[in-house]
Parts: sequence; structure tokens; C-alpha cells
Amino acid sequence: MAEVEETLKRIQTHKGVIGTIVVNAEGIPIRTTLDNSTTVQYTGLLHQLTMKARSTVRDIDPQNDLAFLRIRSKKHEIMVAPDKEYLLIVIQNPSE
Amino acid sequence: MSTTRAKPKKPTLKVTPSSRVMNVSTSGVLRVNHSSTYARSINASVSRKSFSLAADSKILDKSSVQTPKHTVQVFDENGKDVTPQPLYQPDPAAVMSKHSKIFASDTSGGTMSDFYSTAYQTTTNASFAGPFTRSVFGSSTVSRGSQSTMESMNEEIEDPSSKRDISISLSDVQVRREEVKELIKEEMLDDVVDRYLIESETLWLLHMPAVSVSVDSEEAESVKERNNLYMELCKNRMGNDKYVERSMQTFNGAPKTKEVQSEAITMVDAATTATTWDMYDSFRSAGLGEAALSPDTDKASVPEIVSNHRLDPTRAPERTMSVISTTSIASASSSRIEIEPFVVPSEDEPDPELVLQSEKFQQDLFVMERIILENIYQPKLAAYRQLPTLEDPDSVPKVVPTVVSRREESSLDEESTLTPALERLWSFSCELTSGHNVSSMAWNKRNPDLLAVGYGQFDFKDQKSGLICCWSLKNPTWPERVFTCESGVTTLDFSASNASQLAVGMHDGSIATYNVESREKTPVIDSSDCAHKHTSPVWQVRWIDHERGASGEDKGETLISVSADGRISKWFLRKGLDCIDLMKLKRTRNEKDKKQVGDKEKKSEALISRQAPGLCFDFHPTDSNIYIAGTEEGHIHKCSCSYNEQFLETYIAHKGPLYRITWSPFCSDVFLSCSSDWTIQLWRQDLFTPVLGFTSTQSAVYDVMWSPKWATVFGAVNEGRVEIWDLGASILDPTIVSLASPGVKLTSLLFATETDCILVGDSDGQVSIYQLKNLTVGEGTQVAALEDIIGSTLASQL
Repeated sequence: MAEVEETLKRIQTHKGVIGTIVVNAEGIPIRTTLDNSTTVQYTGLLHQLTMKARSTVRDIDPQNDLAFLRIRSKKHEIMVAPDKEYLLIVIQNPSE
Repeated sequence: MSTTRAKPKKPTLKVTPSSRVMNVSTSGVLRVNHSSTYARSINASVSRKSFSLAADSKILDKSSVQTPKHTVQVFDENGKDVTPQPLYQPDPAAVMSKHSKIFASDTSGGTMSDFYSTAYQTTTNASFAGPFTRSVFGSSTVSRGSQSTMESMNEEIEDPSSKRDISISLSDVQVRREEVKELIKEEMLDDVVDRYLIESETLWLLHMPAVSVSVDSEEAESVKERNNLYMELCKNRMGNDKYVERSMQTFNGAPKTKEVQSEAITMVDAATTATTWDMYDSFRSAGLGEAALSPDTDKASVPEIVSNHRLDPTRAPERTMSVISTTSIASASSSRIEIEPFVVPSEDEPDPELVLQSEKFQQDLFVMERIILENIYQPKLAAYRQLPTLEDPDSVPKVVPTVVSRREESSLDEESTLTPALERLWSFSCELTSGHNVSSMAWNKRNPDLLAVGYGQFDFKDQKSGLICCWSLKNPTWPERVFTCESGVTTLDFSASNASQLAVGMHDGSIATYNVESREKTPVIDSSDCAHKHTSPVWQVRWIDHERGASGEDKGETLISVSADGRISKWFLRKGLDCIDLMKLKRTRNEKDKKQVGDKEKKSEALISRQAPGLCFDFHPTDSNIYIAGTEEGHIHKCSCSYNEQFLETYIAHKGPLYRITWSPFCSDVFLSCSSDWTIQLWRQDLFTPVLGFTSTQSAVYDVMWSPKWATVFGAVNEGRVEIWDLGASILDPTIVSLASPGVKLTSLLFATETDCILVGDSDGQVSIYQLKNLTVGEGTQVAALEDIIGSTLASQL
């Protein structure tokens, strides 16, 4: 448990990381470094996108599954580690 | 068309019993019907005229072939055959005749007169005149078929002789009718058909000419009598009970309107998308569903505590998901249940926190961290792996500060691209390692991205607890494994056969092996229990692979260590770590010194031990029996594993402790040594004096290493600088010099195997990665060049 917390803390302090969000399957934030409204917004939108991405991957091959999702935009990169239980979201500005 | 009205008379025809028509004929009603049918047929015949003659002729031709089903022969009193010709209608006019029923009633009884008259008068000629002969026996067709048949039969046929044989069943007619229709259609698609309306001949349907009997004839009386009887019958007909007119009418029930209204059917749109994976999941769970349901009910009580998870088994598609999640959480929560009575208030706590504890989450965190770092370090890592670095198109270009060697700092850009330089890529360091002195570094033999770094002080004073960190290239900010040791780590080496085994030698003389795969913090095995363990710092450990097991020795890898107590020991596992001595490094006096210093001989130092502390050793790259060892005295001894009493050779040149000795990986009898006497010496096996010596600064050289890529290149680290020597370029000066940050001493050096990078460890706990840039050595391994240099040097010395 301490290791997990340590790793989370380390991730948050890496260069360019804007925010880290961990939400459970119901959308309740477990850990977040952003304010509530932003967290809710990110969570809602990314949850849908993750479901769609997973559906796409599994439609092509049902034995496959989505492992990681990265969205690179002009300003940020949003990285999502999806799971049935939770969503781990990190927003980073890589060129900072 | 004759429409003479003749009273229906009883025909005096004898009919063959086969005919059932007799009954028909006596019935007045039927007569009416008949007449109606005949009338219909007349109309039909009229309508038939509209058909093309060709079609008619066709039909007639066909009909002429037909044979009658019943041969009814009617003979009149004279024995003449007055068998009426069968009247059939092969045309589809029967269809139209139905419409003309309405008309038929008008002309009811019209032709009947003809019939009867014909029958009565027995004018055979007339009756046999084919179409004129209408007899009630034409209605024999009624028995055969339906009314439509009769209608068809009633059709006029020109050829009388052929009429007898003609009786066509309904089905045949119908079929032909259809065939005709089809034929017509096909033919008539393109044709312009002319229709001719002509008046046909008068068709006699029924002709019953009156039979007259002369008064004088024999029959007259009987005829008269019969006539009278008949007239009486007709008179008596009215009101006679024998004759009953009866009509029937169906009751038309009074219609009643009833309205029924049903409730509005509410339509609900239900849609579902059956995705491929959904079907796959359902298939899999269908097989597992029954098995999973039973544990689901058992664990139903458990999730009461973990209340957030809805375990509704009726939701089939989510069932498997919830079951699986139950099983995973139930196992976690079962352990919590045990402590539940004590930790009552935290019932809601476990649920979201459990997520954090799951192994998958840790894994995801691990991966996420690496991805973030990859984003940050991508250009550097790409440079390390010698991939082209791509510019991020969206990033704002900025000047990246690089620690370039001082020599090139002042030069212009064009020059710096040409002169060889060291470019600093990144450094492995974290807060754990700051302040520790990097004593040794080793690459993993199997995973070239894994680096083990040992931290420990060289000096006897300020000894801290040692540290071993396993760094991965993918994460320069945090080591993958951290092991703390009691005493400072002085040396480490990865095993080649068991890639996760790391041997560590420490300052207090103990040797331990760690398994880096596991997350355990303790060593796998320790030498502290060994009776023969080293009593002084272990300065080097190495895993040596003996290819040939000579005289009962184990094949495979063994751990060899050299320590300051003057022993080179071989370690093996036998109920714990145990060692045998390969060599005891005895002190050897320099012969020259002995002779020169005569007086001082007597004042020879009191030896603390007879053994010289060994500081380094290296096994021959090809012959694993031969090794060279360097001592604190400055002597290099060449030894063999087979002899543990004597040295094979001794090379004396250095005046200070030898810190590193290493064979050239390309030239098998060349080795390098570096010592604290500021020099690096290049030796050849067979010569007792060094071939070349390199000095650049006045500081002890802590580490030297051959480049794994070029035979003429090696790197050296002294206290303040990193030097890369290229013997092909110059044997007097290092080709690249990179200064250390002030206050930091550089202590160790390691070349990267696949890429052109070097790792430099310093006394502050940082391991920096530098890339060799623009080092143009030439192609190939330059072995020949090295030998040339050696050869020329020797030649010049002679």
C-alpha cells in the first residue's frame, strides 16, 4: 500500500504531469490532483471513450482486450489505463 | 337465335339407364335451370364470337380428339339415334357466361322448347345437324361435372359427327383454356390483332320439332290420349298437392354492428447491439455460468459488507462480470472480515481503497510511470538507442543544455559537430542514492537495459551502509530494485547463466547473492556463515564460466572473488556458500629494489601479513584457466587455476595500487592496467615491461575499460575527468576529455555494449550516461590497428 502511494506521488511529481486521477467503476474519484469539476468531466468523457475503444478492440478479436489508451493532443497527452474496476488517468504536457 | 317458346313437354325418348338425366328432365325447376344454363351457353356462344377464329379452330381440333366419358345413346321411337351431341365449350367464355347469368333468366325456357320439340319430333336430321341438336342429355354433362362444364358443353360445334365423341372434362377444358390464354399472350404481345365481329350461324341449342301424328295413324289415339292427359295434368297442376312449388330464401340475419376497441398497444422500441465480443463473452460465461453461480450464492453474504457491488444475477450479461469481481473482491474482503469486528466504522472505506491495492492497479501504475518518463526522456533514449530523434512538431523549441566537454564548449557549432565529444544524456539518480559513492556498475547479461549499481565508500573511513540499486533504462528516476546492505558495496557482477543472480562483494569481506527478480530485500545467500570468508574488503567478484571442467571441477559458472586479505577464492554452494582458495597472493619483493637499497633492507617493513592485498583480477577472455591479478603493491601476477601456489608471471611496473586490470576483448594477449600512480599501462602477455603507458593528469586513475566495439579505444576515469583514448588517433593524449562537476569525483566507468554510450558513476551517487559523438575510429574492430601500434611502438623501442 505504501508502495502504491509512493508510486502515485512520484508520478504526480514527474516533469510535465498536470494531473492524476484514479476513479473506480462507478465514477467515484479515489485519488485526484485536479479539482472536482475537472475530475468529473475527464472521468465521464474518458470512460465513454474507453468503452468504445475496448469495444472496438474486442470486436475485431474477442480474445483481445484493451491494455492502454493514449490520446495525444496539441497541448497535452492523456494516458488512460483502463480496467473493469477503475480508471487511471494521467494528463501530461510532454514538451514542458 | 331462335327463341321460340315451347311448352316443356315430357319427352318420349328412351334413355339408356346410364343416363341420370331423366330425373333432371322431369323437374320443372331443373328445366328452368337448364334453360338458364343453355341460355347462358347461348350468351356464351355469342360472346365467344369475339374470340379469334383461329383459337376456335384450335379448340375444335383438339376437341375432336376427345372421347366421351359417357356414351349415352338416345333412341327415339323409331330407333333412330337421336343422341344429342355433347355440348361443350372449350373456350374461356364460360367465365364470361357467369356474368351473363343475369341475362339468362330473361330467356328462360327459351331453348328448352327447341329441345323438347326436337326430341319429340325426332327429326333426326335436324337433331343430328350438329349444333342444332340440343337435347336434355346434353345435360348429362351435368352429372359429370359442374355447371360450368355444361356450359362449356353447350357450346356449339360445327362438325356433328365429331360431336358424339366430344366430351371434355372440366379440367381439360380449363387447362386448355389456360393454355390458350398463354399462347395468346405470347403471340399477341407484338401483334396487332384484328377482331372481326360477325354474326355466326344460328346455333340451335335445342330444337324439338313438334312431332305430328296424323289422325289416321295408329298412334293417333294414344297420342291424343296422352295429350289430354297432359293437359289435365297441367290444369291440375295448380293447387295440386302433388306439385308443390316451393321456394326458399335464406334468412338474412339482421346485421348488427358491434364495435370493439382494444386498448392502445403501446409500442416500445427495444434495441440491442450484439457486438462480437458480447457474444463471445456470453458463450464463455454460458459454460462457466453454472459453475460460477454456486460460489456466487455462497459469497452472497460476503458482499453485504462490500455493499457497493450489486450482485444481481438476473442481469445476465453483467453476471459474469459481477461474479468475477465478487470472487476477486470477496477474497480480498474475506481477509478484511477477520479484522472487521475491530475496524467497524471503516465499512465504506474498503471499497474504493481496495482498488488501489489490487495488483492490476500496481501494474498499471508501473506502466503509466514508464510511459510518462518515456514522454519526458524520449529524445535521450532515442539517442541512446541510436534512433533518429524526432522533433515534436507542437513543442516550443528551446535550447537544451548539454554538458559538453570543456574543450568543445567554446568552439563553434560547425566544429563541435566534427570533433569527438561526450554528450550527456541523462543520469540515474534519486534521493536514495544521493550522497553515496558509486563503487561499481554491471550490466545484466540477459537484459541489456538493466543496470546494477553498487554504492559504497572506498575509504575505510566514513563507511555507510551499502546500497544496491537495479536501474532500468526505462525509468531513470527510480530504481527498479533497491537493496540495502550492512556495509558498503564495493563490487558486483551479474551471472550469465542465471541472469537474475547478482553477486555482491562488500567492504566487510562478505559476499552475497541477490535474486533481482523477486522483490525480497534480503540476499539469497550470504557468506557470513562461511568459515573461510574474507576478512578484508572484497574488491572484485566475478562470475567465471569454466568451459571445461578440469579435474573434477564443476562445469559452468563459479564465483571468484579477490579480497584485500590476499586471497583469490572460488565460491560454490555446498550447504551454504563455501570457498576454496585459488591463489594466495604472496608479497613479492622487487628484485631490483632489493639490490639497490642495501641499507634499507635491514629496515624492511614489518609485514602485517605475508599476503598482498589483491585489488583486481581478470580472467582471460578465451582461456578461462589463466587470469591476471593486480595487488596493492603494484604487481600484476599472471596465474593459472591449476596452480595455486605459484604465479606464472609477474609484471612489475606500477608504483601504486592497481585499481583495474582488464584484458582486451579483441587482442587476446593485450591487457590494460590502471593504478593510483596516475598511469595506465598497456601490456602484452609475453613482455614484462609495458608496451605503452598513458598519463594525462596527476590524479589516480580509478577505472579503465576497453571499448567493446573498437580494439583501439578505451575509457578511463580519474578523479576529475573522464577520458576516452583512441590509440589509433593518438597515443599521447586522450581523444575526448570530459570534466566532472566540481566537488564530485568520478569513480567508475562502464561501456554500454550495444550503443556508443558510457556510464560514469561519481561520488555523489549519480550515474551519468554520456554518448560518444563523432568518434571516428574507422571500420571494423581495429584489431590490426592495435597490433600495428604495438608493433611499431616495440620497434621504436628497440
